[in-house]
Amino acid sequence: MFLIIGNYSCERDDICPESTPTTPSLIIDVFDFNSQEDKKNIFNLVIAGVDNEDILPGYSFVSSNNLVLPLKTDVNNTQYILVKEATIDDNGTPDDSTDDIIIGNYDTVSINYSRTNIFVSRACGYKTIYENVTLTVVQDGDNWILSSTPLNPNQSVEDETTAHFNIFH
Amino acid sequence: MKQQRTLTYFISSLILLLFCVSVHAQNDSTVKDSIIIKEKYGLRVGGDIGKLIRSFADDDYSGFEVMADYRLKKRLYIAGEIGFEEKNTITDYLDITSKGSYIKGGIDYNMYQNWLNMDNMIYTGFRIGASTFSQNLNSFTVYTTNQYWEPQFTSNDLKEFNGLTALWVELILGMKVELFNNLFLGLNVQLKIMASETEPDNFGNVYVPGFNKTFDSSGIGVGYGYTMSYRIPLYKKDK
Repeated sequence: MFLIIGNYSCERDDICPESTPTTPSLIIDVFDFNSQEDKKNIFNLVIAGVDNEDILPGYSFVSSNNLVLPLKTDVNNTQYILVKEATIDDNGTPDDSTDDIIIGNYDTVSINYSRTNIFVSRACGYKTIYENVTLTVVQDGDNWILSSTPLNPNQSVEDETTAHFNIFH
Repeated sequence: MKQQRTLTYFISSLILLLFCVSVHAQNDSTVKDSIIIKEKYGLRVGGDIGKLIRSFADDDYSGFEVMADYRLKKRLYIAGEIGFEEKNTITDYLDITSKGSYIKGGIDYNMYQNWLNMDNMIYTGFRIGASTFSQNLNSFTVYTTNQYWEPQFTSNDLKEFNGLTALWVELILGMKVELFNNLFLGLNVQLKIMASETEPDNFGNVYVPGFNKTFDSSGIGVGYGYTMSYRIPLYKKDK
């Protein structure tokens, strides 16, 4: 009995296990506009949140056809800038990265949703799930994202097991 | 955590010390064969001084427990506890106050063969425990593994969950040592298994008075008691 008690006090029960699903991210699959059954990579993709100084980790000059975008948990809207075929203009100073700008085709997507907080467990606390999620591409006259569609009517983002939206380019 | 470990160490040392004292006492006893030894029967009442000390030492805890046992047979006692506890559970993501009272009842069986007129116990026993309690969710912060957007949503709206109940069974292992005439010091450890509990809507019972901290992975709880009690002797019986 003493052994059991010793075991339990050592158990890391206060740490949320990685296997437990918590607040999900929005998952987008990327398809070819001309052949809508086929996935198509976006080359030299850069993703950054609007009003966020950092590039989204994992999306700095990558080729990808699967986007995982975390949504804000404190407001009902999150916006991302997706730059296709991005290159760095070093402004004539290759040694100085502070004045670098990323050039390429910028598209902005705006994601609207309503939030619900769900109790998970003692260690994980509450997670946020998103309902009535809509994704719109802000029109700028030169969009490379040609269309987008949710996988379900009244799309919700409750877990990360499947994609939630498809975009076509 | 550190405090708890210190306390555990303190209790373990005390157990060792008590063993030494009782062994020592055995060696000193010399009684003539012809003396008939009578054993005292009575009602023993006391309180959990461990909970009292913790109430003073720990800002996030207050509680007390009254215990009693009554000797039915040579080795068999009927025993019970009544208590009240208030506990703040504060993690990075949750701030919860659990508050309520509990009652436990069951049997203790003395496994210790006393020497002559000594009257100590090393016992095992079981309890059925029940608690009515409330939980206040003072605040929470949304948990997410991705921290690209910060900060996460934090709610500071108080949410109250009242009228919660829990029922559990408990195994006890402990000892009671007579320090002076009729005055006992007791130590015990408890292993609890939850039988049923009210599941609050969109919330969880993180702490149940009497059952203590709950675990995500199982319905098992643990506890300890550090009691001081006095026996009101009612009658004597031959050993």
